[in-house]
Amino acid sequence: MTALLRYQSGLLLRSQRWLAPLLLYAAVLAVGVRAGEPVLGALGFSAAALVPVTAWCVRICVTQEPPAARDVVAAAAGRGRAHLAALVTGAALPGFLGAVAVLGLTAIGDRRGVGAPAATGAGLLATAACVLTGASVGALAARPFLKATGWSVTALVTGALLALVTTGSPAKHALTALVTGSRTTTAQLPWLACAGAVVLAAATAALACRATARLE
Amino acid sequence: MRLERVGRRYGPRGPWVLRGADLDLPGSSLVRVVGTNGTGKSTLLRLVAGIDAPSEGRITGRPPRTAYVPERFPAALPFTATDYLVHLGRVQGLGRATARARAGEWLERFGAGEHARTELAELSKGTSQKVAVAQALLADPGPGLLVLDEAWTGLDAAARGELDRAVRERVAAGATAVFVDHDPRRLAGEADAVYGVESGAVRAVAATPRDVPPEPRVRISASGGKPLPEGLPGAPTTEPPDPDDPTRPLVLTVDAAHSDALLGALLAASWHIHHLGTEEGVRV
Repeated sequence: MTALLRYQSGLLLRSQRWLAPLLLYAAVLAVGVRAGEPVLGALGFSAAALVPVTAWCVRICVTQEPPAARDVVAAAAGRGRAHLAALVTGAALPGFLGAVAVLGLTAIGDRRGVGAPAATGAGLLATAACVLTGASVGALAARPFLKATGWSVTALVTGALLALVTTGSPAKHALTALVTGSRTTTAQLPWLACAGAVVLAAATAALACRATARLE
Repeated sequence: MRLERVGRRYGPRGPWVLRGADLDLPGSSLVRVVGTNGTGKSTLLRLVAGIDAPSEGRITGRPPRTAYVPERFPAALPFTATDYLVHLGRVQGLGRATARARAGEWLERFGAGEHARTELAELSKGTSQKVAVAQALLADPGPGLLVLDEAWTGLDAAARGELDRAVRERVAAGATAVFVDHDPRRLAGEADAVYGVESGAVRAVAATPRDVPPEPRVRISASGGKPLPEGLPGAPTTEPPDPDDPTRPLVLTVDAAHSDALLGALLAASWHIHHLGTEEGVRV
């Protein structure tokens, strides 16, 4: 699996396809976050932006290989494992960006009433919940389920928006915890949302990896 | 390895591309798959290679380490030839240093050594195909199942010969090799089993020791004042001229592949060509 992850991240980093989602994330943060604003609100904003960014990044990773190259890897490593490596790589980059953003925002934000460790903890958990939810959206909106680019992008954008506003979505749950905490200046750690996102992502990944050799 | 009543269709209501395929693929065997275009040969090979899962039936006894060579290997990957092969070698379980060394060896064997540091996107079609073939042979010990979907297409003659040799080596080492090639002379007479695919059905074809006709041999009737040059191309067999029949000069018989070179050598030695034909007597 390590070799597959190395291959997939090599593809992503050397093709420079990572740049566009990174720029989107940076632009959203630049527009929406100001130094000195309440830290939990800023962390919530950053985590929310990661839902569409991760969905996009996951879609990039599962579609970046030409079909023949994908077949070669699938024969050597198994189709499901190859797909899983692409999903994990697609989620890892936004996860890393999100973690860096949490540390940065905690440093520059207004931490009145909220300790830095509590803010960081809440931010990291919300980031994890949003990245995993976004990854699930990306996995469901790309191959093997949706192969046509138009439908795939439409589903990806709609899915990311729904994941942010639908009750029951782990991302929405984690964001609500941060926004409420920002209002009451108490950092609640969104453990439950994070656990829900882990379950959702694991189920989606298992479904996608199983489906890839059957549907394509 | 066995395929039992294996079928494949795209989507739960799609038409069957392949159905009821029963194949026995034992170790140390070379298996040829034949059929016209669009009959499901590639689908069968993808199922054998484990790229696609069967929609019905089952596949059992898959050997460890499968390698697959597609017909057209895309250049659109952001790696150099060596970097790509090292990645694939590591996916196949090699360490970095071993993967790099074996990548170099195989590129050299296929005559692509000087392109080791070239970006895949800059390689010619034939050289990318050499990279695709090299990745299939990297694993150490080599793959237990080698699936070649017209892997020879685009390779030069030397590399085609080298791939033939590599396939024989793998089969001799106990592997199963399954291949499709449009050239009926490819590994002719060496296949242990031949399967024909026709409109989605697979049937075993008798694999005679020579399952395709041999290459035609060319007869050249010639005469000359000087003795026959030494070391003629293609090592032709000669029938001496009939001393009683002046219309029956020396006859040389050679493989069609060497006939042009042999004619050139004879003409260069100031010999006179009387007649040119195939062994069956057809004029060419």
